[in-house]
Amino acid sequence: MPRPAPRTITFTIDGLEVQAPENSMLVDAAKHGDIEIPVFCYEPKLGNPVGACRMCLVEIEGIPKLQTGCSTPVKDGMVVHTQSERVKVAQNSVVEFLLINHPLDCPVCDKGGECPLQDITFGWGRGISRYVDPKRHFVKPLALSPLIAIDRERCILCYRCVRFSQEISEDHQLVLQERGAHSYVSTFDGHPYVAPFSGNIVELCPVGALTSQPYRFRARPWDIEDAGSVCTLCPSQCNVTLTVRDERVLRVLSRANPEVDDGWLCDRGRFAYPALGGDARVTAPLVRDGGELRPVSWERALEEAAAGLRRAGERVGALAGGGATCEEGLLLARLVREVLGSPHLDSRVAGALPLELLRALAEPSLQATVSDLEFAHAVLLLDCEPVADAAILDLRLRKGVRRHGLRLVPAGRAQLLDQAARAQLLDTLRAAGEEVVVLWHERLGAGAEGERAVRALLDLAATLGLAGIDGAGLLEVPAHTNGRGLREAGVLPNAGPELGELDEGGLNEGGLDAQGIATALAAGELSALYLLDVDPLAGPSPLPSSEHLRSPWAAPEPELWERALERASTVIAHATFLTEGVRAHANVVFPALAYAEKEGTVVHPDGRVQRLRPGVARPGETRDERRVLDELTAMVAPVAVGS
Amino acid sequence: MTTTLLFDRIDEPGLHTLEVYRRRGGYEALRKALAMPPEAVLHELEASALRGRGGAGFQMGKKVSFLPKGGMDKYLVCNADESEPGTFKDRELMQKCPHMLLEGIVIAAHAAGATRSFIYIRGEYVLQADILDAALAEARAAGFVGEQILGSDTSLSLVVHRGAGAYICGEETGLLDSLEGKRGNPRLKPPFPANQGLYQGPTLINNVETLCTVPTIVTMGGSEYAKLGVETSTGTKLVSVSGHVQRPGNYEIELGIPSREIIYGLAGGPPEGRRVKCWFPGGSSSPVLTGEDLDIPYDFDSMAKAGTMLGSGAIIVVDDSTPILDVALKVAKFYRHESCGKCTPCREGTSWTVTMLERIDAGEATPMDLEIMASVQEHIMGNCLCVLGDAMAMPIGSMIAKFRPELEAHMATARIRSGVGGGAATEGVLAAQGALVGAGAGPHGEAH
Repeated sequence: MPRPAPRTITFTIDGLEVQAPENSMLVDAAKHGDIEIPVFCYEPKLGNPVGACRMCLVEIEGIPKLQTGCSTPVKDGMVVHTQSERVKVAQNSVVEFLLINHPLDCPVCDKGGECPLQDITFGWGRGISRYVDPKRHFVKPLALSPLIAIDRERCILCYRCVRFSQEISEDHQLVLQERGAHSYVSTFDGHPYVAPFSGNIVELCPVGALTSQPYRFRARPWDIEDAGSVCTLCPSQCNVTLTVRDERVLRVLSRANPEVDDGWLCDRGRFAYPALGGDARVTAPLVRDGGELRPVSWERALEEAAAGLRRAGERVGALAGGGATCEEGLLLARLVREVLGSPHLDSRVAGALPLELLRALAEPSLQATVSDLEFAHAVLLLDCEPVADAAILDLRLRKGVRRHGLRLVPAGRAQLLDQAARAQLLDTLRAAGEEVVVLWHERLGAGAEGERAVRALLDLAATLGLAGIDGAGLLEVPAHTNGRGLREAGVLPNAGPELGELDEGGLNEGGLDAQGIATALAAGELSALYLLDVDPLAGPSPLPSSEHLRSPWAAPEPELWERALERASTVIAHATFLTEGVRAHANVVFPALAYAEKEGTVVHPDGRVQRLRPGVARPGETRDERRVLDELTAMVAPVAVGS
Repeated sequence: MTTTLLFDRIDEPGLHTLEVYRRRGGYEALRKALAMPPEAVLHELEASALRGRGGAGFQMGKKVSFLPKGGMDKYLVCNADESEPGTFKDRELMQKCPHMLLEGIVIAAHAAGATRSFIYIRGEYVLQADILDAALAEARAAGFVGEQILGSDTSLSLVVHRGAGAYICGEETGLLDSLEGKRGNPRLKPPFPANQGLYQGPTLINNVETLCTVPTIVTMGGSEYAKLGVETSTGTKLVSVSGHVQRPGNYEIELGIPSREIIYGLAGGPPEGRRVKCWFPGGSSSPVLTGEDLDIPYDFDSMAKAGTMLGSGAIIVVDDSTPILDVALKVAKFYRHESCGKCTPCREGTSWTVTMLERIDAGEATPMDLEIMASVQEHIMGNCLCVLGDAMAMPIGSMIAKFRPELEAHMATARIRSGVGGGAATEGVLAAQGALVGAGAGPHGEAH
């Protein structure tokens, strides 16, 4: 689908000649001349402007009435005034109108200090109000949901939250009730606003009407610091800003990246942070002693682990996942493959695929990006449930359908493998247009039919000629957040870094994948298991398992893994939490870092490398995994590594 | 007294049935129109210079010509929400002669190339909606509505949709949202309905009276119709006269006659011994005129020149027995109640205005409040998303401008009554106020 390629035009604003993209809205075009037009309801992320708040009224020569800058596309030669007396009077009056019913409780309001209403009142208001009558009153604050509090007296009825619910997340729960000055935001049925993306309305709110329950009254804007990072709780890898106070994360905000998250966050990414800094974290090294995990010194834990690994030698298997970075993956591969001489390491949950298939899937011309999802003619959703697998993609697909007429075609493995169903699928996709993106989940390649399914996928891509079409291609959602990065780092049984051939020594042959490792452990053929940020009994989620946070597709064969872990003589785990498998079976637990504390890189499912930077200090005795892996490597084979 | 077109023998028994309507020559205009190419019908409409009867007074033919050409789905929506206070002409038309409206809709749709049409009727008009439903069933059975009407290539579906009673749904884009099943809030314009209206398709929206006039124009010919009335306000107009008059009701007049002829001639003027204090020439949203303005010709341009508007043709007469504050409060409360709340100036401004007026009446206001109230009206006007805000600000603004002395006196009296003002001036002020209201002081307040 053609993407907008704007032409640059020249217009005059407050006497300045400014160049801006044609048809961009005046409030955006004005920024090219460093001129700010105040807005409340305008938010381009929410779709078409609604012109409700009337804050952005400007004067345009040739048009008798003042116009809303948020909804007026800029044209070549337009002459705009934002500072004339008429405009000033209008701006003053809108501020005055808005403050009629807005309580002046800024000193106790969470938004105070980072409030657009405050800023605009100072910048564009008269400084005084002529309103002397009683203000409108509501019961407040109320819990709009367990996560969000609503103060209806502070609400300026800008419609942003309602538009988000109606037009972005499309959960259709929020509405405006009543009319006129009695209007208020609420769910239609009065039930709590519970939805996968509800937290975004807190960030959208230009006043303190919608506040985050976990953040309420925890900090003021002048005693917090911002730290940019990437959320690694799911493969979406949304860009976030961490609100930090006293070395604790107090809030997670979106750090809009149009190519990744479009400026949105899911509720899990936004509200899971208290757990990351909570009491359930593992903050000291643990060693199993008398059947129980007990805190020990780092030296003791490292020695125990080194001894275990030395005993196992090449009879070790290793898994990596969760939020493990590429660097950690590389170091793990070095330890297991080069030092211990074992080829058995994996980062895929779905099992190994032949190297030629992995390479074919990674073919650069076949790669689709997240923004391709939005502009494609059709997206084939293959064995993938976006809201559960990579939540933020759900919003991107909705945007594509709503704004660009994207055709969404959900299908499963069965349709791909059945000849008649596949032909029908191809017809549907062809009818939609030639730019087709296949959004598929790693699970497509799982099980006995997995390899056949992946071959069928590649075949479908070839039949549609996706490799030769801009904006078309494949986009795989891996089971683990950094699944793509770990594969590229060589955490695979049959490939080295960058899907390269492995060294001689027959390591290309005989490497066991995750399931093979489990089988071999259960059979006693392997004796040690190394777990980097992953617990085969807990699934890919790095958080303590609880139903709503758990990926719908945990480890495929829990009974097999149960037996494998039971039989393994040494289980070493890097863990942030004591998940089921780690708690029951690990001999050594290294306290791992959460993403807010980590440094490293991860690879987005579409191939983009993203950098994690530590936003808060490491808690307790946690250590950087890279250092732990390095020390362990040196202890297991001091000579080999040094040389 | 003048030509009657729409109200011609309107009270004939059984006129709401197809049989009587056809006996009088009903649907012959449709037959004539369908034999003409759409462009020719459009030409007649343009030649008639018929201006929209709903309130804005925009030329209907021009509106039709704004619709994009081409084969896309186009819609015609008849605005039968008739919710402007004082307006009740469409009700009578739909109740007594529903087939005239249906015939007008089919002809207009033929001219505009619309294939789907709706009548959006206000929920309170239960009887009229029932009558329309019955008439529509008859018309459909007789082949005047539906597929290939009268054997021509023109097809039109028609649905009577009942609203739920909101003034804002008479605003054309609010109406469209409501018709689509959403909350009836006005939309940002542009895009205008002619380009993106109902379901994003090109949409022609016309008032009941406008569409009812269409068959007459086709029968008479556009240029013949244009000879009625005055140059820029052609034809006849239904006026709903209410308030302090002896014979309230709907009257059909030729546009351009002196207003006095309507208020005194047709409606009998205010009761014996009373004088016209002020009057709304076009519904409660039009700026008021006074007893001195009765000789202004009743047509679109003369009203605009007098600083007000012909609007929907609803004349509300207020005589000298009513304090202007009561009138203002009634108007302001209505618009506060009906403001949808979407845009700031209207939502907050209407509510603020009511509060100030109530404070004046309660004796808790100071003359400064009149200044503030006047300035609030100015801040509303022209700054809102739709015209509802202006609909309050215009009449209230005009009342403050034209009846300031009375309002000041009212304020002073109320202060004394409530014990806020007090003092030696009490009796004098009370007397002055009595003189103002009782004697029906003119707009310029000679008693002050």
